[in-house]
Amino acid sequence: MSQADVRKGEKVLFVGIDLGTSRSSISASNAARKWIQSYVGWPKDFISLQVVGKPVLFGEDALENRLSLDLVRPLEHGIIKEGIDRSEEAVQEIIKHLIQLAGPEPDQKIYAVVGVPSDSLKVNKLAIRKAVSEFVHSLMVVTEPFAVAYGMNLLNNSLVIDIGAGTTDFCIMHGTIPAEDDQKTILFAGDYIDDQLYSYLGEKYHNSKFNKNMVRQFKEKYSFVSDVTEDIQVEIPVDGKPVMHDIKNEIKRACESILPAIAETTQEMIARVDPEFQMKIKNNIVVAGGGSLIRGIAEYLEESLREYGPCKVTCVTDPLFAGSDGALKLAQDMPPKYWETF
Amino acid sequence: MPESAAHYEEMDLNFSREIVKVMIIMMAFLFPKKKELRLRQDILREVYEDNLRIIGRKRQAALARRRPFFLRKPFLVALLTVLSVLMHGNFATTPFSLERRVSANTLERKPVSRPAEAPQDRINPSDYNALMGDAKMPLSRVFGLGIKTIMIDPGHGGVDTGTTGKSGTKEKDITLDIARRLKARFEKTGRYTVIMTREQDVTVPLNRRVEMAVASRADLFVSIHLNYLPSRPINIIETYYFGPSSDAKVLKLAEEENAGSQYGLSEFREMIGKIGDTMKLQEAKGLATSIQKNLYSNIKKENGNAYDFGVKRAPFVVLLGVDVPAVLAEVSCLSNAEEELRMNTESHRENIAHYLEAGIMDYLTKGEATYESGRRAER
Repeated sequence: MSQADVRKGEKVLFVGIDLGTSRSSISASNAARKWIQSYVGWPKDFISLQVVGKPVLFGEDALENRLSLDLVRPLEHGIIKEGIDRSEEAVQEIIKHLIQLAGPEPDQKIYAVVGVPSDSLKVNKLAIRKAVSEFVHSLMVVTEPFAVAYGMNLLNNSLVIDIGAGTTDFCIMHGTIPAEDDQKTILFAGDYIDDQLYSYLGEKYHNSKFNKNMVRQFKEKYSFVSDVTEDIQVEIPVDGKPVMHDIKNEIKRACESILPAIAETTQEMIARVDPEFQMKIKNNIVVAGGGSLIRGIAEYLEESLREYGPCKVTCVTDPLFAGSDGALKLAQDMPPKYWETF
Repeated sequence: MPESAAHYEEMDLNFSREIVKVMIIMMAFLFPKKKELRLRQDILREVYEDNLRIIGRKRQAALARRRPFFLRKPFLVALLTVLSVLMHGNFATTPFSLERRVSANTLERKPVSRPAEAPQDRINPSDYNALMGDAKMPLSRVFGLGIKTIMIDPGHGGVDTGTTGKSGTKEKDITLDIARRLKARFEKTGRYTVIMTREQDVTVPLNRRVEMAVASRADLFVSIHLNYLPSRPINIIETYYFGPSSDAKVLKLAEEENAGSQYGLSEFREMIGKIGDTMKLQEAKGLATSIQKNLYSNIKKENGNAYDFGVKRAPFVVLLGVDVPAVLAEVSCLSNAEEELRMNTESHRENIAHYLEAGIMDYLTKGEATYESGRRAER
């Protein structure tokens, strides 16, 4: 804990929250690190409430009981749909739940830095503050890729590519807080891979019964873009009977489907920078988010960018907590005088 | 001994060299750290200032950088005091007094030019035709017909999602939200009864919407929709009233919006027979023009990529079936990525509702004003 943890005799809990499209995580100064899938569900009616036994469900729990619930994924496509689909309420519930998971002491003050998708910060600034401020004493909101960059000390001449579920966010760091021009968001991300994989599997195995949730699980378990020697076989029911299906080619095709857009945008972002610094940035590209778990993605991007000169792409070691750890670092480094004004 | 002295001297020299080396290494190690620390502090300050901007607050005075002494308040006050003492009595020619005089002039009443009294002409039958075709004076105003009930129709709903943006924003959700906001705005005035064709996300066929408008004896019907133009990344705003159109794109749009109307051919023919209703068409065109003008002029200020596609005629079933002035406003374009993002903010939807309200109110009050001023002039 930093020296700033204790001020005016009060013990403060610093938290960094990564509010993601697919997963949300919290890292706290009491060493707690937790995550949930960004799904919130409310029982549809009295009977559903009896069945699920809770007024609100989160993550995997909500997905498992989705037939009894009004299920909301509040940051789907990287933005909060204000006033629609109970999105803001869902964000509030996620934040409340994450803070509970971090286990603050009773009446302990909570100072939070929340990382959100770039578009969401651009569009929903006030909505996010409104949703979070109820549960914390002081709050600052930043973009997810910036939180990652701060946490990994990539403050100068670097490019962070945060491949999430709804969006892929690009953020150029050049020794200052990124401006709008330094950031870009595209919709080619995890959900797009799911859609492609669902469609490829539907074309190949039209008698088999599978849904988007199953397809997402296949992707999370097997995603790759490099040469993989092992077979990828999954069990999918056909006429009620479990049958093994080979999905290796479909997984590769679906994962590769987002990469041309990512490579193109990477090049476009680097081309915007002063030519003197372009080479430095090219050698400091970091892939974060769930997309960094696609096997071979760093090599694939290096290869596709090679025609513009040599470059170095690396993946974060802990994509699940890279955003929340960075946000926590920001919170702990923030001078006390800045917190006090909020 | 001399040898050992030389030896010590050499040792001293080596020791000094080592110290210098260590110092150089330490400096090399410390300076980048200090530079990095400064960079970090700057970034933290920017994060703080960025968050202050979000909540619309300025940096606290205590946190602001110290200004140079000649810009500080006490110095400026003292300077102004000294200057005013030195220049005492010379203010008569300063710009302040001129300004006062100019502003005083603006208060003076300008001569009002009254229109010359029109000679009383004998009434000819052709004057009635002119009255029917006079676009400047809507017939409802001439006959003193007021607007009491406004029906707002949020486009699509339920299983009919309408268009969907790339980020998954559905037309049915946005139109419903804007309609609710528009309704709240009109209800606040206390002058109108406002009815909506749907209050929730439910499927309402077009013929049902028309039936509701007829049954509720609505005086005005405003249907809210969003456009989709995949071929061009622009935001287009257009407003329709019922009428024939030869534009293939408009006919295609009408085909899409008319899908699922559930009207039979005979009912449709019967409705087509009503097209000659001069009053309805005349009013609808005026209403459409007013809405379009307000929507476009305001949205253009916020989004430079907005284009005015104007007021158009189109054979939308929902406009045809309603007996009163009816318009269909395409208030935004979901295919425009920037516009889609903005449509997900409550403030933008509130703004759209505001512009629609302003368009409708302009139309409702303009006629009254024109008619009333005309009457005053006649007296």
